[in-house]
Amino acid sequence: MTDHAAVEFQHVSYTYPGADAPAIEDVTLRVEPGERLGVLGPNGGGKSTLIKIALGLLRGYSGRVLVHGQPPERARRSGIIGYVPQRCEAALMFPISVRQVVEMGAVARQKPWRTTSDEVRDRVQRCIELVGAGAFVDKPIGEISGGQLQRAMIARALAANPKILALDEPTVGIDAVGQRGFAELLDTLHEELKLSILIVSHDVRVVAAGCDRVACMARTLHFHDAPGGLTPQVLAEVFRHDVSSVFGDLHIDAHAADDCPGDHVHAPTASGARNEGADDHEGRV
Amino acid sequence: MRRLHPARATRAPTTTRGGYERVSIGEYIRLFSDGLVAGVAVAILCAVLSVLVVLKRLAFMGQGISHSAFGGIGISMLLGLGAAGTFGVVAGFCVLMGLCIAWIADRRTTSADTVIGVFLVGSMALGAILVSISVRVRPGPAPGWEDLLFGSLLAVGPADAAIAWIVCAAVLVTMVWTRRPLLFWAFDEASSEAFGVPGQRMKFLLMAMLAVAIVVAMKLAGVVLATALLVLPGATALRLSRRIVPVFAISILVSLIGVLGGLAASFRLDLPPGACVVAALVLFFAATWPVERLRHPATGRGVGADAAG
Repeated sequence: MTDHAAVEFQHVSYTYPGADAPAIEDVTLRVEPGERLGVLGPNGGGKSTLIKIALGLLRGYSGRVLVHGQPPERARRSGIIGYVPQRCEAALMFPISVRQVVEMGAVARQKPWRTTSDEVRDRVQRCIELVGAGAFVDKPIGEISGGQLQRAMIARALAANPKILALDEPTVGIDAVGQRGFAELLDTLHEELKLSILIVSHDVRVVAAGCDRVACMARTLHFHDAPGGLTPQVLAEVFRHDVSSVFGDLHIDAHAADDCPGDHVHAPTASGARNEGADDHEGRV
Repeated sequence: MRRLHPARATRAPTTTRGGYERVSIGEYIRLFSDGLVAGVAVAILCAVLSVLVVLKRLAFMGQGISHSAFGGIGISMLLGLGAAGTFGVVAGFCVLMGLCIAWIADRRTTSADTVIGVFLVGSMALGAILVSISVRVRPGPAPGWEDLLFGSLLAVGPADAAIAWIVCAAVLVTMVWTRRPLLFWAFDEASSEAFGVPGQRMKFLLMAMLAVAIVVAMKLAGVVLATALLVLPGATALRLSRRIVPVFAISILVSLIGVLGGLAASFRLDLPPGACVVAALVLFFAATWPVERLRHPATGRGVGADAAG
């Protein structure tokens, strides 16, 4: 047994080379084992920087970061974090099937002289079934829908046998039906695999509905608690520079947020329904 | 009996008639045997790499690296190197240029096609200057520019054929050895590092393999046409299949047929072999157009179209 956090950030700051201002500043954050943490924030708020540091892809940060008690670079080499990227970044004309994409995740770190074992094939099959990709597993990767592709990417991440699943903007390009299916899939993964899940998104619905705790980032950490504590004031504070793009047509008026006069912030409920009563300053999301 | 133009018959028998060498088919095959042996190696080598070139949209990169060879040729002429030395210098120069292009493009301060364009013309200018100086410093026969640009079967000797097979074997072994990280990187470069795949190393490895493949192919197909061998077989195969193993197999098959068919046409018509090989491969690619139309009836666009375009 260990008391290590799944991911732990202690006073972490990072400035990109050549940038004037830090991308993240003095962020202290802890993801408990088995916890689902949603990192919410506007574009440019430092969410992706946070996930890149956890993945060991950025160096030169100040503060301390541990992934299951290890430095991120070592955790990456041992495959502790399974990563699900935004879907548009893969080469979808690649002549491989969904099964082969999932296998890529399982064998990416495998030694070149080792052949694919039965154990790996079984794990790949289990991941495919877990994400519900069985019906299209033999299709070329370029001939499936956005929702199916997202499931394939999640299966690829799971095939690496991670302890933490990190998802970067998982609902971008996914329709409403696909988003509902995604929320159900996350619940299934959490229950079946007991994974820690780290979701980075600018979509309040995804984070509020599918996470145990929420961290709001806009360069610094503004909020780190259960979704129930996520008030329109907090959202207005975090999203003040990017309000309309974040909330779309969802409708909560939080213009009374003291530091954001005149802004009309539209925030959703945790279930994704409109919250017409949010004019009240006490309105909870 | 076939006629052989004197300028192309430095290794041909001495029998002459009307200004042309006359050789039998047997002698012709003996003359071209090294070229044929090298051609098979080049066909296989370029075919496997061409799949990745097309998928990663590196056709212009191939052009940049192949034209960089002019700089290497200029250096080796200035130094007065022999065949093996020239191969080493040109290969080293092309690899260096390929890595420089990849490194600078990776910094994202200048777009990749601009970097390639600058290196392409810069290397050609350097090569022309150095060749001009070397002709003054070391008076002697001028380089065969036509062979350099479009290739020559007769320029391929036993050493070239051996080098082609050694490079082909080395690249195939490297690709098999790195198949998992290489394919992962080629499929999803942005996520590769997160999965423990050394993306930067894979990129530089592919650049190095492309550079040596281009140098090997250059003797046969010339600087201008060498990159065609690194695009057309893969582009054709990707029109015909959406499965990775068949794509590699079709690419090798198309490349072999194109190279051997092109060389046979070169023999029959007494035309430059590089041009004949590329023409054969272009015909193959064009012939697969109906398949592409059937697969994508709305746009007719597919992987090959994207890459070749």
